[in-house]
Amino acid sequence: MTTTVDDPVSLPPALREFASHSPEETFEYGRTLASVLSDSALVLLQGDLGAGKTALVKGLAEGLGVAREEDVVSPSYTLIHEYEGNGRRLYHIDLYRLEGTTEIATLGLEDLLPGGLREAVVAVEWGGKLPLHPQQRALLITIDITGETSRILRASLL
Amino acid sequence: MSQPLILAIESSCDETAAAVVAGGARLLSNVVLSQIPVHQLYGGVVPELASREHLRGIVPVVRQALEKAGVELSQMDAIAATHGPGLVGALLVGLTYAKSISTAINKPLLCVNHLAGHIHAVLLDRRNQGLDEPGFPALALVVSGGHTTLYLVEREGERFSYRTLGKTRDDAAGEAYDKVAKLLALGYPGGPVIDQLAALGNERAVPFTRARMKGNPFDFSFSGIKTAVLRYVQVHGMAESIEARRRALGPGRPTLDRLKPLCDPQTLDLVASFQHAVVEDLVAKTLGAANEAGVQSILLTGGVAANKRLRLELTSRGAEAGIPVYAPPLSLCTDNAAMIAAAAWPLYLAGQWAGLDAAAYAQLPLDAFRSMPAPDAAPSSRHTPGE
Repeated sequence: MTTTVDDPVSLPPALREFASHSPEETFEYGRTLASVLSDSALVLLQGDLGAGKTALVKGLAEGLGVAREEDVVSPSYTLIHEYEGNGRRLYHIDLYRLEGTTEIATLGLEDLLPGGLREAVVAVEWGGKLPLHPQQRALLITIDITGETSRILRASLL
Repeated sequence: MSQPLILAIESSCDETAAAVVAGGARLLSNVVLSQIPVHQLYGGVVPELASREHLRGIVPVVRQALEKAGVELSQMDAIAATHGPGLVGALLVGLTYAKSISTAINKPLLCVNHLAGHIHAVLLDRRNQGLDEPGFPALALVVSGGHTTLYLVEREGERFSYRTLGKTRDDAAGEAYDKVAKLLALGYPGGPVIDQLAALGNERAVPFTRARMKGNPFDFSFSGIKTAVLRYVQVHGMAESIEARRRALGPGRPTLDRLKPLCDPQTLDLVASFQHAVVEDLVAKTLGAANEAGVQSILLTGGVAANKRLRLELTSRGAEAGIPVYAPPLSLCTDNAAMIAAAAWPLYLAGQWAGLDAAAYAQLPLDAFRSMPAPDAAPSSRHTPGE
């Protein structure tokens, strides 16, 4: 049985709010998250510089079985990374450098998002910048920096 | 017999570039159309703008490369283009144009890995100056906005193979420079400005802890130092002075003369300490890997290799360890097409032509990219020698 984020009830309480004390714990959160995502899902990550967005995607990639932890690196410069394996696909996108909806709109992301060309989990760093179609379902994860290594992660469905 | 001429095109990120190189050794032209003025307005590389700029620049850049070299397109023996890694939209502009030229003049197409290009920039520079070549095996540190990787480069005649010994697990070194520069409102790109401002501060003022890597000791991590700079700014209440600087500078690339009076000693110390930590990490791991691999030389290349402090530190400490360090001039460090022509040379000699179906790749590991012996029978859809 596959539980999906399309069904809000299936989001386990442990994922709805999580206190992380290290990048390793944020990574583990990502790995757990992978186990409840369907093949097509949009995950928006929001949090300040250094909050642990890339660390979470590393866990997500390893949980999906598409890449090893050390092979997932920041896409800030290259913007879109694609990982494939284990019958799954992950697009790791970073909107850090992009300002304004015009630049983002011209990226052609709609082809990558759920309902686009392929089934894929799409994780978008600085996902708050992404203009969403009203019908587009997404999981928003916000990461608040509460201390030097402590973070509060909150997941909600949009 | 005159040396074979390769026209190369590079368009993987910011730069639209074209170059003509003779015999993999003689640099006849190296034209780079920098897109930095466009990107400065956005604080980074905007891919759609990049593709559009590449489209606008590609024809004049190639034309200028041929003119400067004093050659005609019909004299080319092969056309080379970068096919990855990079922004696919941007790569496709250069690759497609290269395919068109290759077809029009009926000469082979050579697809080059951008990272191999950075490594071969070092060889090209030595050959072009008529100087002795680095000894192999060599350790190459390719360090730029998108990459920070240590490669063991082995050579057998004109065949090269590459093995990754260490790489960044999160941010590239150049990305850390850009993010810190943006954070401190110092403009884009961050590298040159931080390099210059760092000389004015106390590099021991802020002790950043070095990232210790589990597993591979030669892997890098620059995400932590970026966060540490951010925390330093918050804890020391620097937000207001940063905002004031941002307002005073406005958009566009600030000159050092404009920046200097806008940076207080605290900012200069922070910048100097940041650079010290990053350079120290790069140098220590590069020398560590070089010693362990028992290499004959170290090659320092990529956009961040333009950093004066990094060049100085690595060169002097390499010399102490008895390992010569080779770094190309700035024009061959940052993205350019001459390096693509240089990396295409072994492929040309090996007859490794690419077909018109060649694709562009966002990610393209260098470990799989090597020059092979000439195939016995090339596929019919591909260009073959003497076609």
